[in-house]
Amino acid sequence: MRLQLTGRSVLLAIAVAGSAPPARADDRIDLTTTWYLERRRGPEGGLSVVHPQLDFEVDAGDSVTIGAGYSADVVSGATASVFSVDAVASATPFDDVRHESHASITLKGSRSSLTVGGGAAAERDYTSINLAVAGKVDLPGKNTTLGLSYTHNFDHVCDRDNGMAVALERRALTGLETCKVSSVLVIDDTPGSTIWHDLDIETAQATLTQNLSPTLALQTSLFGQVLRGFQANPYRRVRVAGVEPQESLPDVRGRVALMVQANKFLPGLRSAVHGSVRGYSDTWGVNSLALEMAYSQYAGDALLLRLRGRIYQQTEANFFKDAFFYDTEGPAGAFFTGDRELAPIRNVLAGGRLSYIGFNEEGGTIWGVFDEVRLDLKGDLLLLDELPANPDSLNPAGIDSQFLSSGQLLDAFVLQLALHTAF
Amino acid sequence: MGWRSFSSRMRVLAVGSIVAFAAAGCGRHAVRASEKEHLADRTMRFDADEHESAADDHVLSNREGASGGRGTGGGGCGCN
Repeated sequence: MRLQLTGRSVLLAIAVAGSAPPARADDRIDLTTTWYLERRRGPEGGLSVVHPQLDFEVDAGDSVTIGAGYSADVVSGATASVFSVDAVASATPFDDVRHESHASITLKGSRSSLTVGGGAAAERDYTSINLAVAGKVDLPGKNTTLGLSYTHNFDHVCDRDNGMAVALERRALTGLETCKVSSVLVIDDTPGSTIWHDLDIETAQATLTQNLSPTLALQTSLFGQVLRGFQANPYRRVRVAGVEPQESLPDVRGRVALMVQANKFLPGLRSAVHGSVRGYSDTWGVNSLALEMAYSQYAGDALLLRLRGRIYQQTEANFFKDAFFYDTEGPAGAFFTGDRELAPIRNVLAGGRLSYIGFNEEGGTIWGVFDEVRLDLKGDLLLLDELPANPDSLNPAGIDSQFLSSGQLLDAFVLQLALHTAF
Repeated sequence: MGWRSFSSRMRVLAVGSIVAFAAAGCGRHAVRASEKEHLADRTMRFDADEHESAADDHVLSNREGASGGRGTGGGGCGCN
């Protein structure tokens, strides 16, 4: 569960670092609430995440912008505590609340900007502090923009105190133990019960954006990340050769991704076509490709409709096995996992967003003090297809029951409501 | 074993990066300021909505093993 925060805090740090204000001359406030609902098999029901976000950004003089924000995750639902051929048998209810805050300051020149930011996040078994720096420069002619960013996360993960136990003897957290967090900065071990592990995450990214013609823009991004430290889910157990130890993962993971995006404006239709492709590879053996297409269409002066579709497929991690094979053959070296994100999967997304955009063409205000108001309503449907990691013909248990999300066509949807204001 | 196969994939990605960055930089350089009306449109901005992008990444990175690469926003008219 806490790994959601890992990804979230890194993504937020990148977003903060990369948010050197583009063409916004106005102060702004953005408020967004996202509701994610995933179907899961068994009597405990599905998984629900409510994710509010609030950010503001104000100019302090001509060359300084200050930003700050807060977000939260309110999570409740079912999770399988043991990765085995029957996930429903170990399904248990859980709930959690995460809080995250961040701040940044941006120095702007005529063609460049430098942003320095940081953030902190906490939940009952995970804490995170990140520092980020990003720079962006428009090359002469202002048709080419080069951006660089670097983020360092200083994270801590609560775990069962397993002393010197080897992988197959390690016990998982049950949720009844106390992980002492007096603040984001202060954590304490409870000898014999719980301890805190370090997890350091370094993330770097280079982005090149190029105007290719008056109606075509292209962006290329190269992303690299190294994670060092405890990366397993401390609550998850895996049924391995008849016993159920805590999941065991390598301590180091290197990741790289290359993404190319293009936007094409169609003046005759007052619309735009968007396309992107991303390749990804990491040292755990996960390789993936994601393709996305979208179409934006203006309707009148105030409405903007966007439709999009995305397909994604990945290979499994080198040490991932279907549950039946962990149980009958044992681990893959020293490692074993029940993480769906490390399994071979295919993901499909389809959705749309309707935006109302209000602004005063005369240059005055609208809705009181605001220069511009945008209201977004967005919905996405997600389909997840889990694929076999080992030969089907040798697996009498099959893979249709090893995850709570297995064997469903439509498995999740996302509903989002957002209000963006500039003043 | 992981790092060795990762290195070979890194080489493929490095070549891909060079090609992609070269392609990005090899467009028509002289898009004049007077021609940037459409490039300045909100639909032409990469990562125009940071909240939406962050929420999307939040959802997808918890369903998929991959993450990253979305870029750092900007683009479009380059007129800031």
